[in-house]
Amino acid sequence: MRETLVVFRRELKSYFLSPIAYVFGILFLVVVLYFASLSSLVQGSQASMQPFFGLLPIVFLIFLPALTMRLWAEERKLGTIELLMTFPVRSSQLVLGKFTAALAYLAFVLVLTLGLPLTLGAYGRIDWPPVVGAYTASLLFAGSFVAVGMFWSSVTRDQIIAMLLSFGSLIVLYALGYPVLIELLAGWLPAVVVDLLNGISPYKYFESIARGIIDTRDVVYFACFCGFFLYANALVLRVRRLKG
Amino acid sequence: MNALPTPPMQGPSPLRSAPATATGNRARERGAALALTVHVTLLLLVLGQIVYLASRHRTRVDLTSDSLWSTTESTRSLLGKLDKRLVIEAYFSPKEKLPVNLRETRVWADNFLDEMVQLGKGKVVVQRFDPNADKAIADRCQRIGVQQIDLRSSSSTSVSVDRHWQGLRLVYGGGKQKVIPQFGPTSSFVAEAALTPAVKEVTTETKHKFGYMEWPATAIGQQTPGGIGWNMLRTHEGITKRYEFQNLKDEDGALLPAEIKTLFLFRPKDLTDRQKYVLDQFVVGGGTLVVLADAAEYAIGPKRSFSKLPFTIDAAGSAFKFTEQLLHYGIDWKLKVLADLAQPAYMPRDRMTGAYEYLAVPQQSMLGMVLQWQPYPYFFHAVAQDWKVAADDLAKDEHGKVDTELAAQYRKLFVPGMPSDDFLFAPFKKIGRGPGFYWPTWVGLRQRTGGVLDLPQGIDGRVLLWSSPAVLVEDPPQSLDPLGSTDARARLENLQKFNTKLMERFRGEPRQQAPLMVDVRGKFTSFFAGAERPKRPSEIKEEEAKKAEAAAKEKEAEAKPGETPEKPGEKTAEKPGEKPAEKPAEKTAAKPNPDEIGPKPPVTDNMLTEAPPEPAMRTGGDVPGRIVVIGDADFLRDDLVRGDYRQAGGPVSINGPPFFSQLLDWLAEDRDLVALQSRIPEDRTLKFVDTEATPNMDTRLSEQTLAGKTNLLVTLNVAVPCALLALFGLLIFGVRRAQKRSFLASSTQ
Repeated sequence: MRETLVVFRRELKSYFLSPIAYVFGILFLVVVLYFASLSSLVQGSQASMQPFFGLLPIVFLIFLPALTMRLWAEERKLGTIELLMTFPVRSSQLVLGKFTAALAYLAFVLVLTLGLPLTLGAYGRIDWPPVVGAYTASLLFAGSFVAVGMFWSSVTRDQIIAMLLSFGSLIVLYALGYPVLIELLAGWLPAVVVDLLNGISPYKYFESIARGIIDTRDVVYFACFCGFFLYANALVLRVRRLKG
Repeated sequence: MNALPTPPMQGPSPLRSAPATATGNRARERGAALALTVHVTLLLLVLGQIVYLASRHRTRVDLTSDSLWSTTESTRSLLGKLDKRLVIEAYFSPKEKLPVNLRETRVWADNFLDEMVQLGKGKVVVQRFDPNADKAIADRCQRIGVQQIDLRSSSSTSVSVDRHWQGLRLVYGGGKQKVIPQFGPTSSFVAEAALTPAVKEVTTETKHKFGYMEWPATAIGQQTPGGIGWNMLRTHEGITKRYEFQNLKDEDGALLPAEIKTLFLFRPKDLTDRQKYVLDQFVVGGGTLVVLADAAEYAIGPKRSFSKLPFTIDAAGSAFKFTEQLLHYGIDWKLKVLADLAQPAYMPRDRMTGAYEYLAVPQQSMLGMVLQWQPYPYFFHAVAQDWKVAADDLAKDEHGKVDTELAAQYRKLFVPGMPSDDFLFAPFKKIGRGPGFYWPTWVGLRQRTGGVLDLPQGIDGRVLLWSSPAVLVEDPPQSLDPLGSTDARARLENLQKFNTKLMERFRGEPRQQAPLMVDVRGKFTSFFAGAERPKRPSEIKEEEAKKAEAAAKEKEAEAKPGETPEKPGEKTAEKPGEKPAEKPAEKTAAKPNPDEIGPKPPVTDNMLTEAPPEPAMRTGGDVPGRIVVIGDADFLRDDLVRGDYRQAGGPVSINGPPFFSQLLDWLAEDRDLVALQSRIPEDRTLKFVDTEATPNMDTRLSEQTLAGKTNLLVTLNVAVPCALLALFGLLIFGVRRAQKRSFLASSTQ
């Protein structure tokens, strides 16, 4: 735990000391808040954050691979990974530290979007509990994307390849939650396989929590999804460690 | 970097377990890869199993304040009360072959059916059939009324029509059934709204019966023969499936049958004494009388002339007044028209999309012709707020100074607009207002001078709806047309003048709240006690016929004096022009002593062939009766409910139908669907510019103000967080730079 905390601190510090994080943060905020505000802040409409949370998965899909690509690939490129591997820290602790730091950074950026629900609350009666639930869901959803991005970053040395790989896999995962694609697949795949593919998409589970329902199924899914990719990430690091 | 702790012990790893001999580098790598693959596969399987189990045994918490995604108490209690098996036959074609939009609805349908099975605790069974797989099932679907959904699909080479099915049949205890031809819920909310009433319908053994008498309104400028009644709501499928209505407006004024427990009077007018007697005997006998009262009738029609039509409550020649009859029971119906000048009271619920609820005027705007809502205080609703809060505002003088004494007096006097916690009002309280009333009238409780309640002994009463304290009370004027012209500009000017006049009156009149709905219960005494029982028209006719016959006989006897000798007194008793005296036996049969409740009158030969004699008058009730009076009937009129004047700018009774439906449940004390009906999401409408505060503001200016404010808010929402982040970054860089400088300075020293 202590080791994880040390890695977490180091990573989080590196986020805020690097201009990339600010550029990323500002771009993310401009895109998500501009489009969500245009859809939400309409006289006579209901005070709802649904446009914001509807947009968030797509914005995450575009931005998160860019954020996660550097997590391991940069360490490898700069050669700092060798140094890191020599530290008396388990691979899983390294992975967990980096993962939680990325999540903390994203949570910080998400906190900056709270102005929108506050505005809605000032001019209408916003229902706060589902908003809080949806923010939690967004963090879980972002966590699953970060886990995937981190995994690909650990596999390759090149940041661009890591970004493309994570973008590709995330877009596939995201699309599997989309009914249009599922319908296409249903034409030439057995129903069990289609349901299975549909079942692995984080988007499907995000929708439910974002609406204001905390379902143990969704929470367990996100925990398992993140757990799997983080474990895979740790395995890759161990292999590297063993290979020397 | 921070100092790292001592290395922990490495745990067992599949990678480490690979043999590390010098000869087997290749084998080791292969083994490691195999171990890795097995490891990942096993992990995937375990995690998959965990997710699967979690989806089977899940717990949901609905965070929305309106419980939008949860089953209501209605569904739970209905399914919990089942004493027979409820079979739900689901005629569903395979999910994987459904198009996208239908597939989404199938997910909701499946989930809701699963939930019903769980809540039914073994009493609910879902049987699934695929009509596409078996022609016999498809035929059965068509026979029972489940409808197919034919959708066209095309490819580059062919066009085909795919047939899908998604209908339900509910069979309760092998008997009563209900078919939902197409079931395509878009949420659990919609699924419940469709299925729960259907379950209620099939599980209801006997329908509650309501009696009614109606006096249709005069149709203006329409082809509807016989005026506008209240059929639209009574014959609504959702209502007729659960309740039965029987027209009891008997021309002969027969007493009401014993099985009728509740009687509606839809805008009583031209009431004969006999009808009043029937109503009296009904409430004295323990019945529930519901009166939808209007003090006057105003024309509407497409031209919305709003002029008074001939209208009297009591029929010509009535000896008794209906208002006095109600007063006898403890209800004070003043034949006045009310106008509520408090803005929250006459504002439609949705000014953007439902401006026609009260009064709107079509106006040209940038978006084309739009309905612009206009203030018209004669159309209003009770507001769910405690009017004590308005005491200070209403106690202000011309200079805006609050008269503290008067304000304190108002605080004592004013009451909430919707004081009752009855389930009838639950959904309306949620939206902050009652149903819209159109030219309502004053219906309150009987009071002595000084405002002290003066209800008859053994009678309890309460006012269920109140106007705001800004109400004006007046005799129904001949015209209440605020527009009075076809020219758009002139109409608005007229409307302004109309409202200015009302405001002038408002300043000169004392503040008071008008009661809009009352509920009175107890053992009523007869209004007719001590008086002669009003006769039925047939009785009067019969008596007249008998008298005419007797007169004819007398005439005949006069012509032949030797044949029928007359008693000397009889002839002298009858003067020319006077009605002939009744025979003693007839008098007993037709007019029993009002106070006589005992032996039946002697049976005459005539009566043996006629209808059984009417029971003697009940002067006092043994069973408690109930009277509910609503100070408006227009809100349930067919034309207002149908929305006939929507295009013209209203009025359209938007909240009338749900209120009536709730009223029926409330009167029948049927709480089964209460939770479902009160499931109205809270109003969360955004208001950036309070156009209500300035109703007469120029449209273009209003649009500009709104656009300006919206743009400002969007800009602020985007710019402020970005600026905060940038500032934070600058601050960090500043601190870092300072640290660097001080470090460099210290190292050079």
